[in-house]
Parts: sequence; structure tokens; C-alpha cells
Amino acid sequence: MLTRIWLTYKQHRFETIAIALVCLGLAAAALIEAYRLNSMNVPLKCLESWQGAYMVGPGQPPLDAATQRCNDMAQAFSNIKTGTDAGLVRMLLAFAPLLVGIVFGAPIVAREIETGTAPLSWALSGSRRRWLFSKVLAGVLLIVPLMLVVGLAADVFEAAQYPDLNVYASYIDYVSRGAILVFWALAAFAGTFALGTLLGRTMPALIVALVVCFFVRGSWEAGMNHFVLRPFAVQTSLEQSANYTPDSWYNDISLYQTVYMDGKPWDGDVNAWWMEHQQVQVSATPDASGFVPGGGEPVYVDPATNKPLAPSQVPTYVNFVIPGAWYWNVVVLESGLLLLGSLFCGVIAFVWVDRRRPY
Amino acid sequence: MALAGGASIGTAALVAHGLSKRFKKKVALDKVDLTVPAGSVTALVGPNGAGKTTLIRVCMAFERPNAGGVEVDGVDPWKHRSEALRRVGYVPQTPAVYRGLSVEEHLSMARSLHSGFDADYARRRLDQLGIPLDQRADTLSGGQAAQLGLAVALGTRARILLLDEPLANLDPLARREFIQVLLDAVKSDGSTALLSSHIVTDVEDACDRLAILGGGKVRLDCPLEEARQTHRLTEADSPPPGATAVGSFLGKGGKTVMTLWRLAPGDDPGSAPNSGPGETSEAASLEDVVLGYLAAGRGIGLQLN
Ligand SMILES: Nc1ncnc2c1ncn2[C@@H]1O[C@H](COP(=O)(O)OP(=O)(O)OP(=O)(O)O)[C@@H](O)[C@H]1O
Ligand SMILES: [Mg+2]
Repeated sequence: MLTRIWLTYKQHRFETIAIALVCLGLAAAALIEAYRLNSMNVPLKCLESWQGAYMVGPGQPPLDAATQRCNDMAQAFSNIKTGTDAGLVRMLLAFAPLLVGIVFGAPIVAREIETGTAPLSWALSGSRRRWLFSKVLAGVLLIVPLMLVVGLAADVFEAAQYPDLNVYASYIDYVSRGAILVFWALAAFAGTFALGTLLGRTMPALIVALVVCFFVRGSWEAGMNHFVLRPFAVQTSLEQSANYTPDSWYNDISLYQTVYMDGKPWDGDVNAWWMEHQQVQVSATPDASGFVPGGGEPVYVDPATNKPLAPSQVPTYVNFVIPGAWYWNVVVLESGLLLLGSLFCGVIAFVWVDRRRPY
Repeated sequence: MALAGGASIGTAALVAHGLSKRFKKKVALDKVDLTVPAGSVTALVGPNGAGKTTLIRVCMAFERPNAGGVEVDGVDPWKHRSEALRRVGYVPQTPAVYRGLSVEEHLSMARSLHSGFDADYARRRLDQLGIPLDQRADTLSGGQAAQLGLAVALGTRARILLLDEPLANLDPLARREFIQVLLDAVKSDGSTALLSSHIVTDVEDACDRLAILGGGKVRLDCPLEEARQTHRLTEADSPPPGATAVGSFLGKGGKTVMTLWRLAPGDDPGSAPNSGPGETSEAASLEDVVLGYLAAGRGIGLQLN
């Protein structure tokens, strides 16, 4: 078995080397980007305050030196984070697993059929499944450790981009980092070698696999949110989400909102209700520049009695989310789905390789 | 000589019964019945497209028969592939090698795929031919690649060798040498061989049986000697007594039309020459026999002008 795995790498040495280089290069790039961000040592509070202070309003006093310095640092941090090279790394992290799987999967059966070496091996082994198994195992042994390295480097990169988040309790870019990358690569690998087995041609298998994989990857998050995660959603209040704290806004997957009143779902027209019940408060007089300071919390009153309403009598948006604390459950679930898809494709390939003509 | 396994001399190593194979509308094999006795070396001869390759591929479970079937050492390869293929060494018509793997790595691969693969034996053969083991297989010449294929097939030490035009890519010396190796293998291991060829003279030194395939049908299947002795060749249309015409074809030099006759069974072949007054019939060479049957397969004998 070891011999055959080794010979598989030799036989596909171009793909093997290319994949190793791409993975290690990408992991290195992610770590370098992470290092660049980390080494700036921007204090967390600068990042937080800067988010809301894009501009200084006309007539407002100039910022003090400390705030200015803080903002400059945050700006420089953001420049790296949103720069071209970081963007490129992020994009590659999303698609490299697919490319790796496709590049190794396409020729594994198809090229043997194309070049006529399949009959040579199939005549010798009798069991084509065992033959295919050793090649697939070679692919898995190559892909899993390499993608794991890339996935972990991506986690480090992510943590550097969001220093205020725990990347293992937050869904930011969660499909493009961590252990799930291994399963993306495996799914692309299995799908592509199954296509290669069905089509018996490397190029067509590669092209079809590219189209299918990129489509699946592109629609993955929307599909997961809509079909898979929805039933698991738990409710949080809108207020919790609206008050920006990293924990509630970034960490969760926000799936849908419904309106609640009196602790029950309410299907009335919220805007109409507001028009009727909201009492606009104009608090202060305009300042020197004509700017009216904020009006404070809106007050809701019963139009008949003009008495303020209790909070429970006011319609409230309720967010349904997958909480960040479930990160590992979600990753395991989605990895499991990808693995299931890989196994399904693998079964197709193993069934078909036994029946197909060797040309 | 004791033979291992199910087959012994006199039993069949390979049997095709009512074997038909169609590719869409094209009939490649049409109810073929063929028996290759164990320990024999059978030449499978026929023109392009006769179905030789198809027959061999059915035996390798590369093609599924439409009707009938084959048995390799008593095993149906389509149903029990591993068991059937364990007994078979195979050389495809077009030699294919793994690009990027060396000759030695081909032998390693063969050993990892086929339990009992005799790498030393294959290595010795390649050594004798002066094929360097560390050379990349895709840089071998066409004939050398074919030799590698043969070495791998023989290295299986399989009891049945299915060789699809094994001589086509070899130089004359290599052909002689190959035939010798084949005969040695058959003698020492008690193997059986079926080798296809277009050209019967190539294989007649090696073979003891002849099977002629034409248009997907078996035209003749008998020991080589019998094929020679039961056929006569004449220039004119007058048959040797009791003989039936097989086919007519253009003779050597292209001047005359020769007709092949099959003598009535039981006729003593020794008494056949010059059967009638003024009538001359010649002993038929194997090539003539093949030509006669191939011409018959076409339905019409070749005509002059
Ligand atoms: N996969 C296929 N699809 C369609 N037709 C096929 C296929 N394989 C073989 N044939 C047809 O079946 C017939 C027999 O082919 P086969 O290869 O067995 O001939 P052959 O006797 O080996 O000829 P050659 O001496 O040229 O090698 C031919 O007419 C060929 O065109
Ligand atoms: Mg052929």
C-alpha cells in the first residue's frame, strides 16, 4: 500500500508539488498578514472608538492629540486589513481548498483512462476498487495535513483582523478558515475524481468540477442559513444586537427577525403602529451651528389616554440567531455535511470504476 | 509435469461460448465459440476489425458480453473479476506506460497490485534486453515499451497469457527472442497463451493452434498441423476430390487467383497431392489458409481485374 501511495505521488508529481506549494505559500501569506496586523499593537479601544468616528462634524471641536493618534493607528490598521494583499489572501482562502481538491482529483482516474494505463493496472490488480482506494488514500493523506495548516493559518489571520473577537466563538469568515477547509478540499477532491471516473477525461472533469464547486461554495452560506441552520435559531432581542458589542453583532449568525409584543409573535404593521403611538420628543434647542442634539429614547404612548406604554406593550424586533457559542457545533455540522457529500461522490466513483470500460 | 490449479493438459484454459459483443449497431463478435486447451499456444488471427481485441478484452472483463460469455480457467471474469484476473497475464494492443515512472517503478507498482508478481523474473528479462531499469518509461522506444509490457505480463507468472499483438512493435530479433521466452514460459510453468496477430507467419513458430476470426465469427479453430494438412491450394476452379471451396484470393505476384480447398474429413492428407490427371494442387501454407478464410469472410473471392 505504501508503495502505491508513493507511486501515486510520483505519477502525479506536478499536481502534488503544485498543491504543496500553493498550500504552504498561502499559509505563509496568511501568517505574514497576521503578523503585520498584530505587530501594529493597536489598542482595542482605538479600533472600537474609530469605527464610529469617521468624520469630525462641522463646528465640532478638533480632536485631542491622544484621540487623533488613536484614530491614525486604527486607520493604518484598517488600511492593511482592507488592502489588496489581505483581500487576495482572504479570497484565496475561500477558494484554494476547492482548487487543491479539483487539481488532484481530476487526473486521478481520468488520466489513466486517457493515456491507456488503466488497463495495465486493472489487469494486474483484479480489484479496481483496491486500486482506486490506494490512489484516493494518497490524495487524502496529501490534502488533509496541508489544508489543516492552511486552515489554522487562516484562523490566525482572522484573529489578527478582529482582535476583539474569539475566532472560535464567532462566525466571521467561518467557512474560509479552520478545520472546515479540510472538508472543502476533500469534497472538491471526491467530487472531481468521481467526475473523472464518470467522464474518463481530465479536462472536462476539471472544468465541470470548477463550475460546480464554485457554485456550491458561492451559495453555501446562504443555503446553510436558509435550509440547515434556520430550525436551530434562537431568539435575541433587537436591542442587544443594536447596541454594538462585538459579542452580539459579529459573533452570531443573524438568520431572521420577527416582531414580538407581549412576549408573543405579533404580525401587525410595525410602521403604522409607530406612527400612531410614537411621541416625538424635541428636547434641546439647536446649538450654535444649528445642530440639534439627539432626541433621546423615543416614547410610546397610548393615543387614547396619552399615557406612556409599558415596554412589554411595544412591538419589538426579535433577532433569531445562531449564537457564536455554538461555533464548534456549526463547524462540525457543516464539515459533516461536506464529508457526507464527499462520501457520496466517493461511492459513485467506486461503483462506477468497477463497471466502466478502461478507455 | 504437474499442473497447479484447475486446469491440466487436455482441459480448457479459456472457453468462449456463444459470445456476442455489439458496439451500438456494430457487431464485433457474433456467437463465438472457441476453446483454448490448457498448455497450448493459440494464434488468434484475423484482419483489422475482426474482433480479436474485443475477444481478449472480454476475457479481461474490460467489456461486458451482450450474449454468451467466457470462462478463464473455469471462472467467468465478468462475475468474479479478481479471481479470473489473478490467473491472467495481459498485454494490451497499444503499449501504455506511466509517464514519469521509471521501469523499476513499473515493476514495483506491478508487485503492489498483483500478489505473487515475480519482479526478479521481469527484471532479468529487461536486463537481457538491455533496457535500463532506472530509465523513465515514457522515454523508452515503442518496442522497448512493448517489452516492458511483456515483462510485466510475464512477471505475473500467470497460467494464462492473453497477448494482443505482442509482436507488432518488436524488431525481428526481439520477436525470435520473445517467442522463445513464451515457449519457455509455457513449458516451464505449464501456461497457456492466446496471442493475436494479423500475420500468421509471425507466430507460427510459437503456436500449436490456429484460430481464425473474421467478421466477428470463428472461421477456423484447430491445431496448426491439422490446418496445414487439411487444406489444399489450386490455381483453377477444379477441386481436389471431395474437397469444399473455402475462398479465393490473389496469389503471390498478383497474377493468379488461388482457391483454398478444405479436404473432406477423413481424407488422408498424405494422398491428396495431384489428385486428378492434369490437375495440380499444392500444399497450403498457413498464410494461404488464413488468406482463404479471410477471403471467405468477405463473402467474395478477389477477382483479377
Ligand atoms: N468501443 C468501441 N466502440 C465502437 N466500436 C468498437 C469499439 N471497440 C471495437 N469496436 C469495433 O469492433 C470491431 C472489432 O474491433 P477489434 O478491436 O476487436 O478488432 P481487431 O481484430 O482487434 O482489429 P485490429 O487487428 O485492427 O486490432 C471493429 O469494427 C471496431 O470498430
Ligand atoms: Mg486489435
